Amino acid sequence: MRIDQISGMDIAELKAELETLHSASFGWALSCCRRDRAEAEEVLQTVYLKILEGKACFRGEASLKTWLFAVIRKTAIGEHRKNLLRKLRSSDGSEQARTQVSQADEPGLAYEKSETQALFQTALKSLPRRQREALHLVFYQDLSLSEAAVVMGISIGSARQHYERGKKRLRESLGQTEIAYGIGWRGKENPGAV
Amino acid sequence: MELVGEEKRIQALFSELRLVDEQTSPSFVAVWNRAQSRTYRPQKAFNLAFVAATALLVCALVSLALWSRQWQRNPDALVNLPSVPTVVPTQVPMGISEVTPTPAQKGVGVSAKSRALKLAARRQSLLVAANRKATHEAKTLASWESPTATLLDSPIDELLKSLPQLNQTVDELKSFLPSSPK
Repeated sequence: MRIDQISGMDIAELKAELETLHSASFGWALSCCRRDRAEAEEVLQTVYLKILEGKACFRGEASLKTWLFAVIRKTAIGEHRKNLLRKLRSSDGSEQARTQVSQADEPGLAYEKSETQALFQTALKSLPRRQREALHLVFYQDLSLSEAAVVMGISIGSARQHYERGKKRLRESLGQTEIAYGIGWRGKENPGAV
Repeated sequence: MELVGEEKRIQALFSELRLVDEQTSPSFVAVWNRAQSRTYRPQKAFNLAFVAATALLVCALVSLALWSRQWQRNPDALVNLPSVPTVVPTQVPMGISEVTPTPAQKGVGVSAKSRALKLAARRQSLLVAANRKATHEAKTLASWESPTATLLDSPIDELLKSLPQLNQTVDELKSFLPSSPK
């Protein structure tokens, strides 16, 4: 397959489309990689490589964004599996320590250390993967539930269930931490909305 | 999607997170270029593997051909063949003619030539020995006599085995006839 012509779409055109979606893709990759920036970057690079090689082919069945997110999700799952195997093989935790050191130098980490965000991150990480994904796609990426279902490769009913359960669990875990830290989460809530 | 109450709060938290991620995300060009540079690597590895596999296959085929050729020339294979008792003497020159180097074999070298001659001599001696054995066995078979052959002899053997001659008289011929009843 020619690199300059991928699934009927000109490579320059596709590149421009991907560039506009790049930051959103990176955010989604971060979510899929449990906020590991190095891994997310690696995943994104692998996704672009798949697109260039024609292994991931956009056929216009869904929007480019949902298709790209689905590819990112699958690649992230595959990479995570590979990393787990790699970690199991290497007995020493030197690599892990190196990753932690490199992460400490990241500029965004200072923000993530802020109290509210730290609580939010912890609560988000405690959620099951599907629920976390549904919340991220809806709130972070502004996708509809049907689009989120396409990305996750599940039915819209299942996506809705994951979304509702995720919201409930997030509210519960944030409420618990707020009680522990004395932060008024529920005070800001609109009582008539729910 | 209409967001209410806690959903708005969650949305706000996610929006903050998105802002930070946008600021810290790597540049698209860098990631794209890295991916583009990686596209040729697996192809190279594939080509290398393909070339290695082809070379291995060719080597295997050549060695098989050489081995089969060597096996055909091996004299032990001839010795192990079942011996045929009726060896025609005219086969000896045939064996020699087989071994006689053809023009294509002349360029092999002196050592190969001498080896071929040795092989020819060996084959010839084997054939001669086999021929001698066959002749001896034929003679033995021809001179064989049954030990009970003497028991079959009788006094009228001469009469039974001989034929009447044309110039014999009728009286003599009558003697061959069985005695008529009187």
